[in-house]
Amino acid sequence: MTDEHLNSEQISAFIDYELSLDESQALQQHLDVCHACSLRVLSAMQLKGAIALAGRRFALQPDALVRLAASVQARQQQPVQKSPRRLFAMPAVAWSALAASLVLMVGLIVSQQRRENGTLTAELLDQHLATLSSAASPQVISTDRHTVKPWFQGKLPFSFNLPETTALPADTMLKGADFTYLRGEPAALLLFTIHKHQVSIFMTQRGGQILTPPSATRSGFSIRSATTQDLRLVAVSDVNPADLDLLLSTLAQAQADH
Amino acid sequence: MPSVHARATFEQLALPLLPSLYNHACWLTRNQTEAEDLAQEAISKALRAFDSFQEGTNFKAWIFRILHNTFLTSRTGIAASRTVFLEDHLPVDETPSTDPSPEDNLIRLAHQAALHTALDQLQPPLREALLLCDVEELKYKDIALILDVPIGTVMSRISRARLALRQLLQPQFGKSK
Repeated sequence: MTDEHLNSEQISAFIDYELSLDESQALQQHLDVCHACSLRVLSAMQLKGAIALAGRRFALQPDALVRLAASVQARQQQPVQKSPRRLFAMPAVAWSALAASLVLMVGLIVSQQRRENGTLTAELLDQHLATLSSAASPQVISTDRHTVKPWFQGKLPFSFNLPETTALPADTMLKGADFTYLRGEPAALLLFTIHKHQVSIFMTQRGGQILTPPSATRSGFSIRSATTQDLRLVAVSDVNPADLDLLLSTLAQAQADH
Repeated sequence: MPSVHARATFEQLALPLLPSLYNHACWLTRNQTEAEDLAQEAISKALRAFDSFQEGTNFKAWIFRILHNTFLTSRTGIAASRTVFLEDHLPVDETPSTDPSPEDNLIRLAHQAALHTALDQLQPPLREALLLCDVEELKYKDIALILDVPIGTVMSRISRARLALRQLLQPQFGKSK
């Protein structure tokens, strides 16, 4: 196991947590010494995350959710009732079930929003971790805001401002930027360092599908958010959260001066 | 029919799965109206057969199996089954590479449209196994139960689906550079 490259089935089983403890440890030993296989595992994990997002393409619309939920409950009282496609075709006894369904629908929507937030957090972390890889260089490498900001022209459906270097918090530096997507929406990924800690700032347009993630700490990384009139800013880093908040407020202030 | 208590239990178990059942039904039928009908029929069958559900086993896998089987016996499913799927064990390119892969680009260019197109192009049996794994987060043994195939076949289909996706995404990301 430790001398041979991993095959695709081993990588799939590894990222799907389908290996036994012994198998997983043996595979991990190989990954510790094999850069090529480590990259393949990283790639496979990224693809898995992207599929999980893309695979939820068909959202259940509220009216369809009500119909399906009502049918579950109506069937319990009217087992021989033909499945109703329209609310008006339902028997009277199903109306009480419909009322319960509406309550349920609200619960499901709240539940979906929580799931969305969890997925967004995972995506933010994935993208930040990818920037930490030595193999990942920014698409635009520059400490100059006059280089970074124009690079996004024509790529984003919004514009943003960057503060002068002297206006940034102490020991904070712009390193470059990437054009990326977050939950399928175009985003600017600005890369900073604070005291040698790498920081990812995701800028997206407000009013899109993306929710503002709650402040959280996951696996040692802090996630903080700020909003301006037009933009949503999300920061991810392992730096002190107070330093992260300071950078976010500086960037938010720069939008106000825009 | 199940008892009142069993019905209440069924409701508790089934209702949270409606969005997932509908999403999966859409992938199977490729038609949202048919998908809603399929999900309704599967729920109806599941309720009627709920007495056979063994408490402590995976309800999600159980009802997804009913959904899958209901699809297979539907008009769309029968038509789809006429397309012969050459099962597994085809040789694949296993050469490891340190070059940036499509997934490296995905993390930056997570281009949903490209991924949607690639997923559309996957062979249905590969796509279904992959979606059950990555979207529904089901274990291989549960996917094997749903699809009624050996667990080794599930492993092979998921692996082949990912390789096929990589190959499908490669030219699209190549153009975007």
